[in-house]
Amino acid sequence: MNLRFTFLALILIFSFSCNKETKKVEKVSQADDSSSELYQISKTPLPSNLNWESNLTDPIYSSPNAVKGGSYNSFIDSFPLTLRVVGPDSNGGFAGVIRALQLSPTDYHPNTRKPIPILATEWAHSKDLTTIYYKLNKKAKWSDGKPLRVDDFIFALEMYKSKHIVAPWYNEYYTKNFAKIIKYDEHTMAVVGKNPKSSEDLHYYYGLGAFPKHFYNLSKNFVKDYNWKIPPTLAPYQIDVVKKGKYLTLKRVKNWWGENERFFKNRFNVDKIKYTVIRDQNVAFEHFKKGELESFGLTLPDFWHNKAKGKIFDSGYVHKLWFYTKSPQPEMGMWMNLDREIFKDINTRKGFSHAMNVDKVLKTVLRNDYERQHNAATGYGKYSNESIKARKFDLKKAGSYLKKAGWEKRGADGIRVKNGKRFSVKVLYGAKHHNDRLVVLKEEAKKAGIELELKLMDGSTAFKAMQEKQHDVAHSGWGAMWKPQYWGQYHSANASKPQTNNFSNTNDKELDKYIDGYRLEFDSKKKAKLSRQIQQRIHDLSVVVPTYLIPYFRQAYWRWIRLPKDIATEVSDSATDPLGLTTGGLFWVDKKLKSETKEAMKNKVRFKPETIIEKKYKTKS
Amino acid sequence: MRSFKLNPLTVKKINRFKSIKRGYYSFIIFSLSLFFAMFAEFFVNSKAILVKYEGNYHFPTYSDVISGETFGLDYKYETNYRELNKQFESEESDNFVIMPVFPYNPLENDLQEGIYPPTAPNMDNQHFLGTDTTGRDILARLVYGYRIAIVFSLGLLLINYVIGITIGCLMGFYGGWFDIIVQRIIEIWSNIPFLYVVIIVSSIVVPSLGVLMGIMAFFGWMGMTWYMRTKTYKEKEREYVLAARALGAKDRKIIFSHIIPNSISLIVTFIPFSIAGGMTSLTSLDYLGFGLLPPTPSWGELLSQGTSRLDAPWIGISVVFAMILILTMITFIGEAIREAFDPKKHTTYQ
Repeated sequence: MNLRFTFLALILIFSFSCNKETKKVEKVSQADDSSSELYQISKTPLPSNLNWESNLTDPIYSSPNAVKGGSYNSFIDSFPLTLRVVGPDSNGGFAGVIRALQLSPTDYHPNTRKPIPILATEWAHSKDLTTIYYKLNKKAKWSDGKPLRVDDFIFALEMYKSKHIVAPWYNEYYTKNFAKIIKYDEHTMAVVGKNPKSSEDLHYYYGLGAFPKHFYNLSKNFVKDYNWKIPPTLAPYQIDVVKKGKYLTLKRVKNWWGENERFFKNRFNVDKIKYTVIRDQNVAFEHFKKGELESFGLTLPDFWHNKAKGKIFDSGYVHKLWFYTKSPQPEMGMWMNLDREIFKDINTRKGFSHAMNVDKVLKTVLRNDYERQHNAATGYGKYSNESIKARKFDLKKAGSYLKKAGWEKRGADGIRVKNGKRFSVKVLYGAKHHNDRLVVLKEEAKKAGIELELKLMDGSTAFKAMQEKQHDVAHSGWGAMWKPQYWGQYHSANASKPQTNNFSNTNDKELDKYIDGYRLEFDSKKKAKLSRQIQQRIHDLSVVVPTYLIPYFRQAYWRWIRLPKDIATEVSDSATDPLGLTTGGLFWVDKKLKSETKEAMKNKVRFKPETIIEKKYKTKS
Repeated sequence: MRSFKLNPLTVKKINRFKSIKRGYYSFIIFSLSLFFAMFAEFFVNSKAILVKYEGNYHFPTYSDVISGETFGLDYKYETNYRELNKQFESEESDNFVIMPVFPYNPLENDLQEGIYPPTAPNMDNQHFLGTDTTGRDILARLVYGYRIAIVFSLGLLLINYVIGITIGCLMGFYGGWFDIIVQRIIEIWSNIPFLYVVIIVSSIVVPSLGVLMGIMAFFGWMGMTWYMRTKTYKEKEREYVLAARALGAKDRKIIFSHIIPNSISLIVTFIPFSIAGGMTSLTSLDYLGFGLLPPTPSWGELLSQGTSRLDAPWIGISVVFAMILILTMITFIGEAIREAFDPKKHTTYQ
């Protein structure tokens, strides 16, 4: 569930919008006198009409050939400032690893996206879609041998709401969204949320992670006390050696409780994981080339095309992998500011869209590495409207739309004019490495008689300026989310106001209707249909020119790293992630191959070079 | 009418300057480079110098944009003269195009599918120094970047010197409390970290040539004050100032008509080094990304591309070589001027 933490900030923005429903639920929980603020020990038995699920039918995606043993070496660019999960400095680059050691009752199958058991064996939800019930796995044990109990979840909630962790964001998020936990017995509980969610979303929003209650002492010294203490874990790995500033190792938990669970079998195979601090990416790549690191990410075009060359690749010691995934994609585009006189006319917007030669950018400066984005939310399965095709660069179409909008004449400099005004718009952007792309768009737009005035600002300043709607066109993007979100970017409630994310100032009644419906809909089929309708409407209104996608990851790895038949899952971000509970731990180390390779390197024996380009999860475009 | 005659001392200085060969030749080459840069549109441009089409002559260089339709092509946007040239040549008609020697402008991306920029120097497609990371001609960017840098540093020089010389003279001339207070102000002023201010300012306003010049001048005028202050202190005690005063000249007259002209040798010797300084500071700001906005051609931007793309050495080599060449020439000129104006060569102290 790393995704959750990555985009917490964005979720927060959207969770504000659910206030109306919140009030009702709060009243119900206040009426129950016997409960504390956080939890309640139920005197009544579990509701009998619950529909318990356990999903032991979804396909297994690990390899039966996997062998345990060996070690995996990776690098981090700076040493973590703390080992705490929450509190000051806990959100650094190492947070991903620390959070992977934090398990929740359920998670999502990376290929079917259905809930699968992690700490729970069964789950059910209430009819009003605010509560989710869990039966915990009785086998689950902390790495210090203590069993997992409902109290560990209650403690987690208590901790997240506590002032002692010095994490106001968590305090607010958990207070706003979680009502309480009801304990039925040591292994049965219900998490009550404050807002209803769809049955699948419940797992995402209310599936909080367990904390070992017997280990923590929640006091005002919490932040200081637990900076470097190693907590027991439920995960397959536990932090082992901490050499501050140099490296950090994890070891596999002996007789891990999950070893034989359906979705954990044949996974988490290496005995030891070592993270060494290497501050520079290029230096790390040199370490990798020496065989000191097992794998290296090559998603950046420069690494894949220019740097990953030479003997170790040509002799087949190192394999290259280009793996297309189906993960939700960030929404990247150029939002036109509809409050500007020039973009009020839909024909101008359509003409403008046809004048942006995104394909040329993709084919040239981006080396065919990236792909064209077509709709407002790609990679969300049935929530994405695949039938939409982004408007292509077409001077004839651009010309005819612009003519309709009265921009027929061209001035002395070849730029279109209307009533003495030139078609010149400021494109605001916040990333220096986008220069290359924008200068191509600028030169191509000239052909259509449109002048783009490029305005590069520092990232955060640019974002602020866009929120204040100071742009004509905003070249920007939104991070991928669990489910597509439209209210912030396209609802009229956020139009023509400063400090909102509606960069286009879209104000359309029909779109509002769909978005309102989308937010209140809990039936996932209907919701997905609304999502597709919203995307269609956004396309029809032509308020944004969708730009690029990177629907894959690329990496290099030494040939002794073995991967399952399917290599990785639909939503993986690496084939050699050792820890991820749903997508990681699929590879294993073949010791024989390792010694064979080392021997071959000494004797200059060559193997067949291998570059795998796997497109089976690629979305057709 | 009195004919224009140079002061014999000036003639002496000029002759002395001419006699220092490397400075003198540098001066000639540098002046030529300035001339070429100012009229770069005729030498480095994607627009043709002359087109003859069906009996009519067109001069696109400084004219309005001529759309493709004018020459019987099927598009309304600006004519691609390189292609037009090829077409006319293959048609063997009366029509012809005369292209500049270097037929690219600094903004256009010469991109072909399947060939990924940057591309190495190539005589066939006339990218004599290759292209940069977006397929723009490096030579064109060097030339136009040079023009911007030189205009920038001349402008900066003017502002800095006007302010610096005026304040320096006033300090030296009036002395006393005025001198002490302004000295302290300058000391405090010069301790403001320049780079941070530039970073802050360029994150708030979009830096244009004028804004950048303003920021640089804001921190650059102090240098000259110290020299002028000392010089004025010395000059104002001389007899000619006393004579002027005895004739009833006002302070302003004395400063601007007597002291400053007599300090000209000091000012002149500093000029070349200030020009070099201005160019390097614009380049370094561009290199750091706080300079002029893309896609403005700039040496700093090329330099930053060159350092990040060591696999495309032609980017880095071109700009480093150009910088070395120009800065060395300016330094030679500066040296020669200093030699030529050296008071020891023309006067004797008593």
